[in-house]
Amino acid sequence: MTAVAAPILEFHDVTVAYGRRPVLWNVDLAIAEPCLFGVIGPNGAGKSTLLKAALGLVPVVGGYVRFFGAPLDRVRGRVGYVPQRETVDWDFPVSVMDVVLMGTYGRLGWLRRPGRRERDLARHCLDRVGLVGLAERQIGRLSGGQQQRVFLARALAQEADVYLLDEPLAGVDVRSQEQIFRVLAEVRDQGKLVVVVHHDLRTAAEWFDRVALIDMRLVATGPTADVLTPDNLRRTYAGRVELLEEIGRAVAERGRTP
Amino acid sequence: MNPTDGTVLVADAGFAFHGWSMATAAVVSAACALVGSFLVVRRMSLLGDAIAHAVLPGIAVAVLAGGRLGGPLVLAGAVAAALVTVWLTRVIHESVGLAEDAGAGVVFTSLFALGVVLVTLFASQIDLDPQCVLFGILELAAFDLVPLGPFLVPRALVTAVAVLGLVAATLLATWRLQVFTAFDQAAARAAGVPVAAVTMLLLGTTAVATVAAFEAVGAVLVVAMLVVPAATAELLVHRMPLVAAVAVALAMVGACLGWVAAWWLNTSAAGMMAVVLGGFYALAVLLAPGDGLVARGAAGLGLAWRVAREDWLARIWRAGEEAGGAGEVARPRPRSAIERAAAAWLEWSGVVESRRGMVRLSAAGVREAETVVRSHRLWEAWLGRHAELPLDHLHPPAEWVEHHLGAAMRERIEAEMAAGEADPHGREIPREAGGRP
Amino acid sequence: MMAAAPTLAAWPPLVAVAAGPLDAGLTYNTLVALAGVATVGFAAGVAGTLALLRRRPLVGDAAAHATLLGVGAAFLLTGRRDLPTLLAGALVSAVAALVVLVFLRRIARTRDDAATAIVIGVSFGAGLALLAGITARGLPGGAGLEQFLLGHAAALTAQDALLLAAASCATVALVAVAFKEFVLVAFDDAFAAAIGRPVGLIDTALVALVAVMVVVGLPAAGAVLVTALVVIPPVAARQWTTRAGRMLLLAGLFGLAAAVAGVLASTLRPGLATGPLVVLTAAAICVVSFAVAPERGWLWRRSTLPGGEESP
Repeated sequence: MTAVAAPILEFHDVTVAYGRRPVLWNVDLAIAEPCLFGVIGPNGAGKSTLLKAALGLVPVVGGYVRFFGAPLDRVRGRVGYVPQRETVDWDFPVSVMDVVLMGTYGRLGWLRRPGRRERDLARHCLDRVGLVGLAERQIGRLSGGQQQRVFLARALAQEADVYLLDEPLAGVDVRSQEQIFRVLAEVRDQGKLVVVVHHDLRTAAEWFDRVALIDMRLVATGPTADVLTPDNLRRTYAGRVELLEEIGRAVAERGRTP
Repeated sequence: MNPTDGTVLVADAGFAFHGWSMATAAVVSAACALVGSFLVVRRMSLLGDAIAHAVLPGIAVAVLAGGRLGGPLVLAGAVAAALVTVWLTRVIHESVGLAEDAGAGVVFTSLFALGVVLVTLFASQIDLDPQCVLFGILELAAFDLVPLGPFLVPRALVTAVAVLGLVAATLLATWRLQVFTAFDQAAARAAGVPVAAVTMLLLGTTAVATVAAFEAVGAVLVVAMLVVPAATAELLVHRMPLVAAVAVALAMVGACLGWVAAWWLNTSAAGMMAVVLGGFYALAVLLAPGDGLVARGAAGLGLAWRVAREDWLARIWRAGEEAGGAGEVARPRPRSAIERAAAAWLEWSGVVESRRGMVRLSAAGVREAETVVRSHRLWEAWLGRHAELPLDHLHPPAEWVEHHLGAAMRERIEAEMAAGEADPHGREIPREAGGRP
Repeated sequence: MMAAAPTLAAWPPLVAVAAGPLDAGLTYNTLVALAGVATVGFAAGVAGTLALLRRRPLVGDAAAHATLLGVGAAFLLTGRRDLPTLLAGALVSAVAALVVLVFLRRIARTRDDAATAIVIGVSFGAGLALLAGITARGLPGGAGLEQFLLGHAAALTAQDALLLAAASCATVALVAVAFKEFVLVAFDDAFAAAIGRPVGLIDTALVALVAVMVVVGLPAAGAVLVTALVVIPPVAARQWTTRAGRMLLLAGLFGLAAAVAGVLASTLRPGLATGPLVVLTAAAICVVSFAVAPERGWLWRRSTLPGGEESP
């Protein structure tokens, strides 16, 4: 009897609540093979929350998330992350190189400073995203697309096997978008799983191998062409969400819905 | 006079002394609480703190220029200093992109330091001294009397009443605008309200209120009078006119109690007033209906009790269903202390009839149990239909949602299903009982 | 207390000559006190930079105002007036104020700014009430506690200054060792958490450092103004550089300059508290930085073409 390899990323009956209010209900999702995987859905549907739950950034009140069959704490070095751009203060006094080097901190630990090996790796990652000439520039002096590529380079510097990206293309010009996607496709071709929270249906249909449709719960998942059907899209975007929101409110207030 | 050099209170001068002092304190704190209600709701508490500090150089310069403490020149000086503070903070923020906090911190500490230096250097020419600037001279208010018609009243009280009048008049005149801007600045701006002017007016009013408070409690404790009563009121009531009214009432009572406490403990009146106001806030945090810690704890307990009760009834009902509709089944074993208590209560109140190790649900018990089971199975059906969940994942979510579905919600869910449809496990979904939720 | 300290004249001739003009009024004691205050200023600027980068520049304000309560309580409980005892009390009440602040925000769900203002006002009032009560009862040794309101560095003994210097050096050492972690968390705490850093712990360490500096800065600046020593130098330093490390160093130097200049200035006239002068010096440095710093300074911007290299 052959053993089945654990999925690269598995969400098992995951429910996420902010305070007491559930925002993601019982998500069951397993990604077994490396691919370019899109998480699609309306605004506020919980797509970013799903990613944050995987990384332990928001608490999971039901179920669990596993990477390669293990909890995140055991395999942190194999998971790379690109957070949303709005969370960052672009006036911060760091250079592009400083930011990319932060990707190496996971392996360096607390006390060691980045050395030659880390700097070479950082330069290589900057090269892959096409920013090597800007290494010494302060990050506030970059365009939106360039800033996003710096974050991508930082994630690449983590040398991970799974990459989770939260809206990496929001507010980015079309040329940069294509550039970023080319890099992501290269990463996938190297045998890594790339999970991207994405807002644009049209480009999603073009770029992703597989997608998951999320609207406070998992509506459908599978190969892109199979999932992005008019019926599924209607179920997601036309929303039966008011029900979930009302129940969520009732739970938060410890009462009942009317 | 320096409250920390041992001469806090002269020999008890009787009713007039206490009366005047408490009256002054009450009026001052009422003015501050009124303006503070808006500051707190608009998340401008720290700006209020900043203004309270930054008016010092304005006051010092005005007094040096010949103004009396509390006279119109001083009020003007305070307002000017407040406007300078806000302008400088804005300028720093725009040219540097720093958090408003940092800019305000730089500006108000610098201005306050400037004020203290001015007051120290020109101590002989002003009747302020640095210590009094920090904690006020309320204790002397009753001795600095001015004639008002046939009466002799404390000058500080006259100032305070004038300031209260000014503050109240300004805020009442612009009440609607202030409230609208306070609760939804974006909507106000979209509706054409001159938000910047409204804000400036509020800050100017703060500066004026600060001047009156200065003499009573000094710079640092003005912030207590501005913020604490309003924050307490917000825990207790939620509509703006009530918040302001409750804040003013709390402030006045707190000021008087603080004075009495200070006299009894032989210490600084300003300090004790802040402590008393803080005590009110602590009580509100604990006891406020709805938001208070006690209320929240009770609500949590209430939910746990309801869940335990419903779980118990549903278990008995399901046991009966499994036994082919039998009325009497063996008593299940409680799974937790609260479930044990709920079971005992249900048996005591007759909802569950118990006899020799067997239990049976009364009519009321059946109704309640069926409602819970109905909620559970409806939710499983809904999830099964609308989420990509395998069968064995449906039970846990339904286990906790079943306690939160009301009658109308159950109808909505049922409306989406075919008539007589079973739950995903093939079990029948009980009908809705008439009446009970 | 030790016997009359040696004056500069007793020092090796080279030092005496170099310090000749300063000899008037300066003793060994004063020099050590100045050195102590200088390290405090440096460390305060360093700690304040981390707080500013983390976008919480006023985190020390509540702690600062609460120190008064601790000073009074320490005196009441132990009957002693030496600086280490009083500062220990100050540290306890500073930490307590910060705990209350966290409680108000997380559990009582008070708004951030209101919570800070409440803690500031009530703790300061309590401290004031305690100190006034002590003085009113004429407890021996109780007079002079009010120096902690606005600072009185002249009262520092050499031993006190050494204690302050030691605490300051420990702070700077910790920051130096863990600098990259502080910057990581300040820049992007989501990423930091994702790579497994205990963000809450690091934030707590930051707040603790600021609390220590606020307490250590009490003799120089007093409870009411010590936050300025933590807030102003980093703001000034930001004008001069776009590298976090250099900003840290510069803020430390500015803090050092402000502390030393303020203390020296306060010796010019008896009765002048040190705090306001330290703050005014820091403010002057800040104003100059805003005006003349390359690229960000006002004078500079006036002379660049519109749409120049400035970032949006």
